[in-house]
Amino acid sequence: MLAFVAFSLRRAWQGFWRNGLMSLAAMATMVLMLVLLSGLILMLAGLDATINYVGQKVQVVAYIKDTAPKNDVDRIQLVLQEMPQVTEVNYVSKEQALADFQQRQPGDAALINSLPSNPLPASLEINLRDPSDYLDVANYLRAQTSSVDSVQDLKVTVGQMIAVANVLRTGGIVVLVVVCLTVLFIIMNTIRLAVMARAEEIEIMRLVGASDAFIRWPFIFEGALVGLFGALITIALLWVVQTPLTNFMSDFFNVLPVQASVLVGRDVALIVLGTGVGIGVLGSFLSVRSYLIR
Amino acid sequence: MPMVTPSTSGSTSGTLRVPNLPSRRPAGRSADGKVFIALQGVGKTYANGKIALRDVDLVIPEGDFVFLVGPSGAGKSTLIRLLIRDEKASQGHVLLDDRDLAKLKRRDVPRIRRKIGIVFQDFKLLPTKSVRDNVAFALEVTGTPRRQIGPAVERVLRVVGLHDQADQLPSELSGGEQQRTAIARALVHDPRLFIADEPTGNLDPLISWEIIQLLLRINEMGVTVLMATHNAEVVTALRKRVVALDDGRIVRDEIGAAYHRED
Repeated sequence: MLAFVAFSLRRAWQGFWRNGLMSLAAMATMVLMLVLLSGLILMLAGLDATINYVGQKVQVVAYIKDTAPKNDVDRIQLVLQEMPQVTEVNYVSKEQALADFQQRQPGDAALINSLPSNPLPASLEINLRDPSDYLDVANYLRAQTSSVDSVQDLKVTVGQMIAVANVLRTGGIVVLVVVCLTVLFIIMNTIRLAVMARAEEIEIMRLVGASDAFIRWPFIFEGALVGLFGALITIALLWVVQTPLTNFMSDFFNVLPVQASVLVGRDVALIVLGTGVGIGVLGSFLSVRSYLIR
Repeated sequence: MPMVTPSTSGSTSGTLRVPNLPSRRPAGRSADGKVFIALQGVGKTYANGKIALRDVDLVIPEGDFVFLVGPSGAGKSTLIRLLIRDEKASQGHVLLDDRDLAKLKRRDVPRIRRKIGIVFQDFKLLPTKSVRDNVAFALEVTGTPRRQIGPAVERVLRVVGLHDQADQLPSELSGGEQQRTAIARALVHDPRLFIADEPTGNLDPLISWEIIQLLLRINEMGVTVLMATHNAEVVTALRKRVVALDDGRIVRDEIGAAYHRED
């Protein structure tokens, strides 16, 4: 058994390098697919996290003017708390908003600190019993022109994001399936060429009584190797772009607490690795089948 | 060391009884050994409709030396491919060492093939491997433990007389030496049947005789030898059993015969 595994691995390794150019082509395509895959995963994960955060926590946010009198704001808060549609009202001061922002985006803290004054407004975050009641609350807030600067109705935003997420999910999966099939086809071709290059060797193996496993597994390992290397390159790429990606995501999702660095974690790495190796193995398995004992 | 007593009962070690076998078995041969190869009403039609063998009956006892002759396309190669279970018979039965090859499970095919050593006109050596590695390859790919491979390879290289050329590549060898490498590789599993498909087709007469001498020695070791050939000189000189095929049929099966019919 050990001899068999050692034999198969050795031959897979030799085969991988002997077919250098084809292996490289297959690997490059594999990387392309895996980058697309992980991009899609990250995008969807970011959207989902945002949707959850917004959907669960806050439904209406009112930004308070810096010039608003303190007692007016207190009054508004009290009125809101008395409204039957409202479950909870939180006052977020300018200082609190700044602290939250710095905690969420430590990368941008220096930028904020370089400004002469705190640019972030204070706000009232209002949770609703029923999200469809938001119009009553929003209208009341909009009427408080002396203190309320603007009202952000996050429910509408959430609805839009869910729509975007669904389009991305569907479109992404379609694109991914197409790319997966392409990669599978390329891997199959690569291994088929590798098999053809060693047709004589395989013939001899069959003649001297090698079992199917001895013929099949070196090629399956070779396919797995293409997948493994493709996955490792992809993971390395993701690791390199992790910081810029986090910043991009933060910008993209504005002030919402999305942390890409958490997402580019073990899960994505495992999915990338599993998909890469899986497609490599499947492609080899399919292309070597016809060369076995009839 | 315990004595091994050959059992005379039971279907695996006793004489194979092939029902309804025509009594075409050459006289004087039946008592020599148990039947090792039995073809019974064998026909082979390929997928493209070409009929390669028709109603072939053939019995070869263990330890026999048989020449398979006939024009190109007569069915010699098909017969060999049936014996190594590279193809299945379309009709009839092919029995090898008491086993019906058509009923063989896929995973048992490699085991049967290890009982058969085979060489071809074109040697089928791996050009990037040395003589020693070419022979060792046959053991490696059948899962032989590494420590057993070395001694086994040395032994067969001595048998074929290539011990001194063990580290050379096939391209550095003469045709005869390449064929001897192929023979060594075919012998390394200790086969009970040795099939040579035109083994001297690419060799000049003198070298051909060397190869034939080697096959005779293998036969003397108790291995059944089946040699397909066009080499009339060799067949006629050796006066062995000759099975002649033409258009997929056995047209002659004689002991001590010549390449051509001598009526």
